Amino acid sequence: MDKQKIEELKKLIRSRLNRPMRYYLDLCTRCGLCYDTCHVYQGIPKREYSPVGRAEVVRKVYKKYFRPTGKLFPYWGDAKELDDTVMEELYEAAFSCTGCRRCMAFCPFGIDMPHILSIAKVLLIANETAPEELVMLTDAAVEKGESIEMFKEGFMDVVKDLQKNVQEKLNLPSDEGLIPMDKKGANILYVGLSGAHSIVNPAIIFNAAKEDWTLSFFEGVNFGAFAGDPEKMDFIAMRIINEAIELGVNEVVVVECGTAYRIMKFLMGKQPFKVSSIVEVAHRYIKEGRIKVKEGAITEPVTYHDPCQLGRNVGVFEEPREILEMLCTNYVEMSPTREYNWCCGGGGGLVALDNEEFRIKSGKPKKDQIVATGAKIVASACENCVMQLGTIQAGYNLDIEVKYITELVTENLIVE
Amino acid sequence: MWESIYAFVMVPMVYIAFGVFVLGILYKLYVVLSSPPIKGTLGMFPQTLPRPIGVLRDSLLVPTAYMKDKVFWFFIIVFHAAFLLLFLGHLELIQEFSIIQIIPHEIFLGKGFVGIALIVSTLYFLFRRFRPPYSLISVPEDYMILLILFLTMIFGSHMSMAAAYGVMGFDVSVADYRTYLSSLVAFRPVLPAGITYSPHYVILVLHIFFANLFLILFPFSKMIHSVFTFIAHNTKRK
Repeated sequence: MDKQKIEELKKLIRSRLNRPMRYYLDLCTRCGLCYDTCHVYQGIPKREYSPVGRAEVVRKVYKKYFRPTGKLFPYWGDAKELDDTVMEELYEAAFSCTGCRRCMAFCPFGIDMPHILSIAKVLLIANETAPEELVMLTDAAVEKGESIEMFKEGFMDVVKDLQKNVQEKLNLPSDEGLIPMDKKGANILYVGLSGAHSIVNPAIIFNAAKEDWTLSFFEGVNFGAFAGDPEKMDFIAMRIINEAIELGVNEVVVVECGTAYRIMKFLMGKQPFKVSSIVEVAHRYIKEGRIKVKEGAITEPVTYHDPCQLGRNVGVFEEPREILEMLCTNYVEMSPTREYNWCCGGGGGLVALDNEEFRIKSGKPKKDQIVATGAKIVASACENCVMQLGTIQAGYNLDIEVKYITELVTENLIVE
Repeated sequence: MWESIYAFVMVPMVYIAFGVFVLGILYKLYVVLSSPPIKGTLGMFPQTLPRPIGVLRDSLLVPTAYMKDKVFWFFIIVFHAAFLLLFLGHLELIQEFSIIQIIPHEIFLGKGFVGIALIVSTLYFLFRRFRPPYSLISVPEDYMILLILFLTMIFGSHMSMAAAYGVMGFDVSVADYRTYLSSLVAFRPVLPAGITYSPHYVILVLHIFFANLFLILFPFSKMIHSVFTFIAHNTKRK
């Protein structure tokens, strides 16, 4: 690696030294309490897959260029210079981490390891060694944001076709306006994904609740965050924020995608509208009696996988559980659960990469948890999680069905 | 020559060490506070206690360590509690503090057992680092800091225990310590003959030398965790 490149990467590190990054980089005592808290380490027990092992790769580079001890006595803290080997280590660290922050729950100082790894991701993008898939998907999302008018008509045609599914489910005489778009002054702006299920099931729920809503032109998923490009992450999220402000909605409701929800709710600062997850909204409708579901309709054992970004990283624990306890006669909790729940291994954009064997191995703790519950249905509220749970099911040949919370609600909706 | 070296360790180096310690911590805090904040929040859930209470509980009682490794947690608590008691004990070597004497005790606090508890827990932390997986994540700094702490404490404990040699006339009296330390605090340093002529003078010099090193390293090493842990736990609960 030439000097100019190193200087460029050093500048990038400096640009990422925000306030929490400063103390996260200095705080770790390498006590090792986080060592085995990562699902990847559980599946593949190697030091480089331990949270501290990952963070140390970044920390050693930081020490080399930004700490006097690292500059004068590199041996003292094992400070490392940037070179191709270190870049490979950074790749392994950053793109084996799902950003689930389970390690943070066990860290005695509460260090946010994925926040530290965001430095690794920025360096990899600048070095042109970040995963191509994620970079391309990020650029596609940015391109859509920059030229939305070109995409609008085609998207509206696709959505029109989906209205028939909603009409059919709710036994309505017409499919006209069942999935409204571009509706100024609507109460809710719903942000879906590219998959039909992410639009149809929520549309059924909104229509059953007689909600005044409109569908966003944009997908909630934020590949900028997965790739680790903070500027593009902001741009992708801002597309939706600007749309919500232009339409003048009161609430933005985010699809079952943990990362999309966390970014909108906690990582973009204060917004002039409320941000909710579709799971919270479905729960609210049930509690308010705006929609009715068949209580106790599901008799097979059901368990719930807390998406990390929705659970420990945003705090939505009760709503999905209350929905399931209403629908099921045999709800079984996983162990450990809630903030200590094992990550499934699909987050951080890892499901978008060609790494199925790795994800099956790193999904081992989740597989063990599911098997221990004896559940036949595993419900979750995140696109990445549902996809990864499907990979685990196939990889370990589990006799389970994986379902979204909204899917279970619409399947058991009482249509009046 | 040795007398000059001893005098340097006992007076100028103490001032240097405290200066680096205080200014170093202020500098580290300045660097953190002058860095750009993030626009969102990095909180984690559930947040069961009011933030200030939660931050204090997580920082001082380290419940996550209790969950993961009870033996390690025990030594963390013993180490930090003993450290606090020794700090109070050293304050009493500067002057009398009636508030510390709420429970009446002889100086030095804990009759030497506090220092031994600290030495044992330091040795536990050190030997823990020699086995995997902890050896795999340790860097030289981790061993060196524990070694400096161990040496500071072993010499300090010797000085404390030396009081027991009183009948043989080997000990340094509390009055001599107070003359020395209060003169340092008043910036009119004096090295009483009771210290410099003590057969244990060299041990005291070594104790203070390693304590000075500890203070100098504190802001620029992982020991800064004792300051930043509160800030990080506050972020976790925002």
